[in-house]
Amino acid sequence: MNKIVVTGIGIISPIGNSVAENRAALQAGKSGLTSLELFATRYARLLKFGEIKITNEDLKQQLGVTTKGVTRTTLLALHAFVQAIEDRGFTNEELQSSDTALINGNTIGGMSESENLYLDANKNEVGSEYISSYNLGTVNMYIQQRYKIGGVVNTFNTACSSSANAIAYGARLIKNGFAKRAIVGGTDSLAKFTINGFNSLGILSSTLCKPFDAGRSGLNLGEGAAFLVLEKEHDAKGKKIYAEVSGWGNTNDAFHPSSLSDNGDGPYLAMKEALEVAKLKPEQIGFVNAHGTATENNDEKESVAMKRLFEKVPAFASTKSNTGHTLGAAGAIEAVYCILNLMHQEVYANLRFENAIETTGLTPVTEYKKMNLEHVMSNSFGFGGNCSSLIFSKTNHLL
Amino acid sequence: MFYIHQSSCISHQPTFNDVDLEDLKLIENNLVPAIEPKYENVPLGQLRRMGRALRMGVGTCMKLLATNKVNGLLIGTANGGIEDSIMFLNQIHDYEEGRLTPTAFVQSTYNAIAGMVGMITVNHGYNATHVHRGHAFENVALDAAMLLKENPDNSYLIGGVDEISPKNHRLVSLTGWYRHDTVSNADLYEGNATGTLLGEGAAMFIVNNKSESAKAKLTGLKMVNSHDENFVKEQLSLFLKENPGEVDLFLQGENGDNRLLKYYAACESLMAEETTVARFKHAFGEFQTVSALAVWLSTYVLQNQKLPQHFIKKNSATEFNRILIYNNYQGVQHSFMLVERV
Repeated sequence: MNKIVVTGIGIISPIGNSVAENRAALQAGKSGLTSLELFATRYARLLKFGEIKITNEDLKQQLGVTTKGVTRTTLLALHAFVQAIEDRGFTNEELQSSDTALINGNTIGGMSESENLYLDANKNEVGSEYISSYNLGTVNMYIQQRYKIGGVVNTFNTACSSSANAIAYGARLIKNGFAKRAIVGGTDSLAKFTINGFNSLGILSSTLCKPFDAGRSGLNLGEGAAFLVLEKEHDAKGKKIYAEVSGWGNTNDAFHPSSLSDNGDGPYLAMKEALEVAKLKPEQIGFVNAHGTATENNDEKESVAMKRLFEKVPAFASTKSNTGHTLGAAGAIEAVYCILNLMHQEVYANLRFENAIETTGLTPVTEYKKMNLEHVMSNSFGFGGNCSSLIFSKTNHLL
Repeated sequence: MFYIHQSSCISHQPTFNDVDLEDLKLIENNLVPAIEPKYENVPLGQLRRMGRALRMGVGTCMKLLATNKVNGLLIGTANGGIEDSIMFLNQIHDYEEGRLTPTAFVQSTYNAIAGMVGMITVNHGYNATHVHRGHAFENVALDAAMLLKENPDNSYLIGGVDEISPKNHRLVSLTGWYRHDTVSNADLYEGNATGTLLGEGAAMFIVNNKSESAKAKLTGLKMVNSHDENFVKEQLSLFLKENPGEVDLFLQGENGDNRLLKYYAACESLMAEETTVARFKHAFGEFQTVSALAVWLSTYVLQNQKLPQHFIKKNSATEFNRILIYNNYQGVQHSFMLVERV
């Protein structure tokens, strides 16, 4: 069989530091959105954030990181990476093999060290310890060197769909024979840079975000990381198999640098392409983990696109109501949630929804419930018109 | 893997309109800046607001898209619009996180080039930006090779771009990877120095599975991550076994930094005595996506069957059929690419 299956998962998010903690929080309808505590910005108390309440020093200690210049973005990634490889069970030999790939997506890299970047770029005569850590490659450069990963190593940036594309790229490397197994995921940490960037666009909410609600007022930024281990079903004999990665689509909305077109062309085409790759019909999708950022623009256009594609829009929800928008990590974090949907045959509530958007009239799942699910879809859309959809399918090997 | 058709390139040499590589264009100030052409096919209002990487990226793409239709866009860039990022960061600092305008933020995102070209040309197809430093362009090429296996009739625009900008220059000058003493690019390989010259540029290609009217073919690609020159050599040896055939030009990425010579020497030792060996970073400078320009140069050599003397390190072939590119970024990211005559 040529199926690409998931044999390991790891995650850290504002609602938990492990897969089990994340599932418990999702079941309980818990939100991880609060004021900001761990670094200073004038918006710390003015806005809500999905912040992971562990300091960089504690993360370094927990992960045994002593190398200089390792930023929070990398530390969060490393936390999820270690969980995923331990979950799947890797020997060093396998990690170092030339057919083990490592693919990451992120949007902030080492620029989470905003103050140090400011000083290095403007003032310092001697570079800070982060001088070589600012660009996005920094995360996988560190993980590759720490574990001597032997295969293709890459970093994707397609803004908020970065890690969805990292997952698709890993699956395609395996399908096309360029890797036997791929450790794929995404990471991002909260940073002054993104907080001010999204604020300059006027799309951050001062209250807890309300995806798909008529009265939504913008998004809450979050942070986190997740990694998945992918391999062929044939090579995963004897291992636990969580789900199949059955479809992926990558398109461009080709409309505006930071908002979606009225007809939701990019989202519509990405979902359609993912169905084609998975050889599925729209009605076979049982649940959609929507992009659902809770901005005025996204939720309406995503709804329009879902209505175009599905004769009857399936159950859907946005877990950004729990985690906030974790940007480059969102695709990977939400992939883990889709896998939980399939494993446990359950869906989680889209928190704080009250009234449907008038023009589209769609109501998301508003309470935790059991549900028979064969195929679930995950959407991730980003600036630059980058739209991606993934499809995960139930396998017969569920624990 | 795939055929290379039209290409466009911006660099410190005249590579955009009337290509002329005969005489090396010399540098000033220890930088190898791209000579930006007058951009056509890019809306002026948009061009004015673009940062340098965005302009070079969009400009090289639009030159090709004026006459070609493609099914997707794949761009490699290690830094994206880093000057815009720092400009925005400085605004955050100077205005104490006050209300800022979003232009610099939106344009600084690494995917802005592919996004902008997608928007200008209304291309709804595959759209990807690979940013893994010295392997950003190599992953673009690998992604394109996979797309062309999955969709054999398609065509894609692929390429790489990175910029020198004042803030980026200041940053990289603190990393210890660049020369602080004044050196001419003509003398880049002389002496025994640490550090190299920072360059910038963009190279874009139309690629597909059609041999007809193709300019060259990329037939092999491998990436290696290691600090160990013996391991790199073993990997090249394996790569050559998997891709047998004579190499008549070994085009390598030596950059004048004595810390990296051992890797180039190890790989060069696998070449036959009569193989012509050439270098390119005196012409383009060192940057993470310069391997895209090495592919552009290879395509030029195969098309024109000549390589100007200033590129040549050893021997001088009169016929070029198969070029092996070996590049190395900061002694850890290595890549091998085979470019062949059609």
